[in-house]
Amino acid sequence: MEALLSLSNDLAGAVERVAPSIVEVHARPRLPSTGIHWRAGLVVTADHTVRAHDGITVTTPDGRSLPATLAGRDGGTDLALLRVPDLGSSPAPVGDDTALRVGHMVLALGYGPRASWGVVSVVGPRWRSWRGGEIDRLVRLDLVLYPGFSGGPLVDASGRVVGLNTSGLAREMRLAVPATTVARVVDELSRKGHVSRGYLGLGMRAVQIPEPLRAQLGLPGNAGLIVVTVEPDGPAARAGMLLGDVLVALDGAPVAELEDVQARLGPDRIGATTTALVVRAGRRAEMLIQIGEQPRRRA
Amino acid sequence: MSPTLTEPDTAGLGASAAAIATALGRVTVEIRGPNGAPIGAGVVWHSDGLILTNAHVARRDVSVVLSDRRPRAARLVARDPGRDLAALVVDATGLPDAAIGDSRALRVGELVLAMGNPFGLPRALSAGLVHAVERSIIQADLRLAPGNSGGPLADAQGRVVGLNAMVVGGLAIAVPSETAWRFVREQLHGHRRPGR
Repeated sequence: MEALLSLSNDLAGAVERVAPSIVEVHARPRLPSTGIHWRAGLVVTADHTVRAHDGITVTTPDGRSLPATLAGRDGGTDLALLRVPDLGSSPAPVGDDTALRVGHMVLALGYGPRASWGVVSVVGPRWRSWRGGEIDRLVRLDLVLYPGFSGGPLVDASGRVVGLNTSGLAREMRLAVPATTVARVVDELSRKGHVSRGYLGLGMRAVQIPEPLRAQLGLPGNAGLIVVTVEPDGPAARAGMLLGDVLVALDGAPVAELEDVQARLGPDRIGATTTALVVRAGRRAEMLIQIGEQPRRRA
Repeated sequence: MSPTLTEPDTAGLGASAAAIATALGRVTVEIRGPNGAPIGAGVVWHSDGLILTNAHVARRDVSVVLSDRRPRAARLVARDPGRDLAALVVDATGLPDAAIGDSRALRVGELVLAMGNPFGLPRALSAGLVHAVERSIIQADLRLAPGNSGGPLADAQGRVVGLNAMVVGGLAIAVPSETAWRFVREQLHGHRRPGR
């Protein structure tokens, strides 16, 4: 029975190693969430669990209730950063999420500590969340995220934090935001309070373009995005974009889904000019849009 | 980093789990209702025929099937719905009895194994870990089903640390072995083990 006992001791040891850096976050009614003491005085949690702006408190592992202020938030990666001055010195031991492989045994932890056990079920490349955030690696988990576990650490079997668990990025999947992304976003949030992202000021939906029209206009693809809202005085409005225009390409690259547009709106593109090819009333039209910066969401 | 995890000793892990399953199988009993239908599980607590199960499983005299597969009549000798524990006695001696562990020493994250008769399937094993420890209950991240009630929850050494009682919000809830000992001491003075 030695092998099982040794694994059991490792898992319990992993919980004990990370538990001193797990706090309970009170920033929404009823169900508290979990937070990770990431750096001295800074707690990171899942953005979707932060509903309140004022009166946020965190409960430390030893049961102290401390006031916290929102230092910044990024809905795109579902991360929020809280400043908690008197937290003490027990930041989480952070591990290397690039080493994660399908089948690795992992733990999801909540305040208490409480533990959930499972395996990494999918590891994928860089992806973009439905809220537009850039996430360095897809980490899908086969384990149960119990109520209140969002914002808590994903821990490898050696007791290192390799991600932050959230149910806020996909409805049917349990995902972790990898530690690499958490570190990057925490850095940006602690400096600026938000994550910059390029912005056109458009709401769009995917549409199919009939083949005769595509052929007639010599379009690069048979799909596009129809403009359903135009932010008044936004970057696209200033360039002359109208409701009902169908965006088919940006800088010559076809766009068939919102993802294709978001992929071309990284922080480095703010201020740059992009050439938009649109179909308007059955004809081709081109316009130059100066990419703006996404306004910050007010909760 | 632990060698068991970087270079998983799957043969060793499998053998360990199988050894525990075999040992638990010897001390897990099926509990059947008056019409012979399976209603839960129990643990052979003492070799002279004392079996513990949940109070919600054993409401009256029942029949039990030990590891020898023979049904026997079992008499309900004590019952405490508050702690969800019941004691049954079968007319037997020299039964293989469970190694009882100390539930007070459980750590969050420890591996645990449950055995019972989920959906009437005798002596099925499930594995998980300790989710949270409270004084009066053990919460385990482990899948249980109807028929697991009253069966053993064991640690990674195969020692029984609790009796599985219910599922709440997907979590397995078990009555700690410490509570079971107290129940046995209070209700059945004749069934004390040496040293307890």
